[in-house]
Amino acid sequence: MKILVVEDEELLRENIIDYLKSEGNVCDIAANFDAADEKIALYDYDCILLDLTLPDGDGLKLLQLLKKQDRGEGVIIITARGSVDQRIEGLALGADDYLVKPFHLSELSARVMAVVRRRWFSGNDLVVFNELSIDIKSKIVKVNAELISLTKKEFDLLVYFMSNRSKVISKSALVTHIWGDHADMADSFDFVYTHMKNLRRKLVDAGCKDYFHSIYGVGYKFADL
Amino acid sequence: MKLFTAYNRVLLITGSLGLLAIGYLFYHTLGNYLDRQIDNYLVEELLEVKDYAAKKENFPAHVAFEDLVIEYHRIPKLKRKRHFGDTVFYNAKKKLSETGRYLEEDLVMASETYRVKIIASKIAHIDQAKSIFLVIILPVFGLLLLLLLVSHYMIKRIWLPFRQLLINLKSFNLNQEQDFVQVPTSIAEFRELNDAIVDISQRVRSDYRQIKLFTENASHEMMTPIAVINAKLDTMLQSSDLDEEQSRNLADLYRATAKLTKLNQSLLLLVKIDNNLLNDRAQLNFKEMVAEKLVYFQEFTQRRNISVDTELETHALLMNRYLADILLDNLIGNAVRHNYEGGNIVVKLDRKSFSVSNTGIEGALDSTVVFERFYKSPSSEGMGLGLAIVKQIVELHQFRISYDYQGGRHNFVVSF
Repeated sequence: MKILVVEDEELLRENIIDYLKSEGNVCDIAANFDAADEKIALYDYDCILLDLTLPDGDGLKLLQLLKKQDRGEGVIIITARGSVDQRIEGLALGADDYLVKPFHLSELSARVMAVVRRRWFSGNDLVVFNELSIDIKSKIVKVNAELISLTKKEFDLLVYFMSNRSKVISKSALVTHIWGDHADMADSFDFVYTHMKNLRRKLVDAGCKDYFHSIYGVGYKFADL
Repeated sequence: MKLFTAYNRVLLITGSLGLLAIGYLFYHTLGNYLDRQIDNYLVEELLEVKDYAAKKENFPAHVAFEDLVIEYHRIPKLKRKRHFGDTVFYNAKKKLSETGRYLEEDLVMASETYRVKIIASKIAHIDQAKSIFLVIILPVFGLLLLLLLVSHYMIKRIWLPFRQLLINLKSFNLNQEQDFVQVPTSIAEFRELNDAIVDISQRVRSDYRQIKLFTENASHEMMTPIAVINAKLDTMLQSSDLDEEQSRNLADLYRATAKLTKLNQSLLLLVKIDNNLLNDRAQLNFKEMVAEKLVYFQEFTQRRNISVDTELETHALLMNRYLADILLDNLIGNAVRHNYEGGNIVVKLDRKSFSVSNTGIEGALDSTVVFERFYKSPSSEGMGLGLAIVKQIVELHQFRISYDYQGGRHNFVVSF
């Protein structure tokens, strides 16, 4: 996938790009409004990550520009300003998603995947990994041909891992992904462990290989090693 | 004591004392003056007696004197010079005792020594003195009363702007952008006070705005570095040669970063509430919201065997939806978080109030500071902003919140 990262904070930008590239994406960078404007005029992307507070302009203007040209790019706003109003304004202007800093790279990656899937494969929203296949839209999970039933949280976790294949996802990121603002309610991390345990058991029971690997209590990795 | 009372008290005390002193002095002087008049009259009468005695070798008869009583006594020898004094005598004509003034003198007649005593009634003079006294004192007393009335009216009128200033000061709210109202007055001191208050209110408001702006900016500025830390942690986590100790360190760093994020978000939320940025309200089905929130927390309560009892009446509230959600999150979340295994939570909603009551590990919290920012019980892992946010939300919607600890239960009650 081809992704444009519009972010003025260099350190953050580098990390985002490294992470997305390591997942096999092609990334372009724009450190300010003008550079982003230029890139958008020259190339097509699958997804654009857009910081709203740029040194030389308002990111929302860039969004308006994109929508005016009726382009197909998915847009995810990434911003430090987490106000409800801005979120609503951004989504009303046609952004596909809204991510408030600070966020986990795994979360960003999952959101990018989701946006791209929604935008480009809206009819055929099937994610397949070896014997495992997930229909994201109708929330159906199959191992080989066997249907397995997952709770909503287990399903969300599985999709999250499928969007970050071969990556280590921290428990912190998992907790935030599932419980959002209420992440601190689950801060013993025991809750994640329980959900992970149940998810793994269900998959293995259905004859799926256990692709989850625990990394010293800090996180999990979903990979076919 | 009110200003008017204090002022009147001084005025009344000095007025009455002054009136008494003046009255006494006046009456005394007047009496003396009238006595001198009688004395002169008595002297003249005595001279007449002397003349009479010198010519006729005898004393004039009593009846020869109008309004006077005259007495002669023979005495062994000359002793006394002329002597005046007050006395009470029997007025034979009027047939009653009267106060009077007397003059005594010894004199020689036909080689005998006599003492002559002439007594004049003072009644007429006393009446005269009384009239004069009343004529003078009554108007003075009247003037004093008038003065009191005028001062009462004037104080009320003159201090009117001051009362208005007080009312304005009491209704002054730092959070409302409405400026301090100038009170029209022609009194220089009040104008000065007015200006000083307007000046200070503007300065306080500006300082407060600066602090809020600072908090907001600081929190926003912090978000980007935290985002960098988070991203770096995520990157480090991908390293293939991570050993156990490094992993543990990473986990701790994640936890600390999450806490920092939460702190920042809470501060920003407080600033937003302070700045009235979350002011769009709607009629909310509060009962439904509470029920939904309880379903959300079910996962956490079930896991720790915490029983939840509810008494929910349908009640609609005019609130900001986002803030109502946070209010429920914080109150119910706390009840779950600070509970013990197998504990209990009671959530009640009726038309007057919403209450959350829970068993807890901690004993009673200090109810005077429980809603203050950064207050937390020793065992709490939070930052102590949850209840401060609850209080802000409650105050923004003109509700009230109270906390008490009874029978091992923490009770939080929001009264609408």
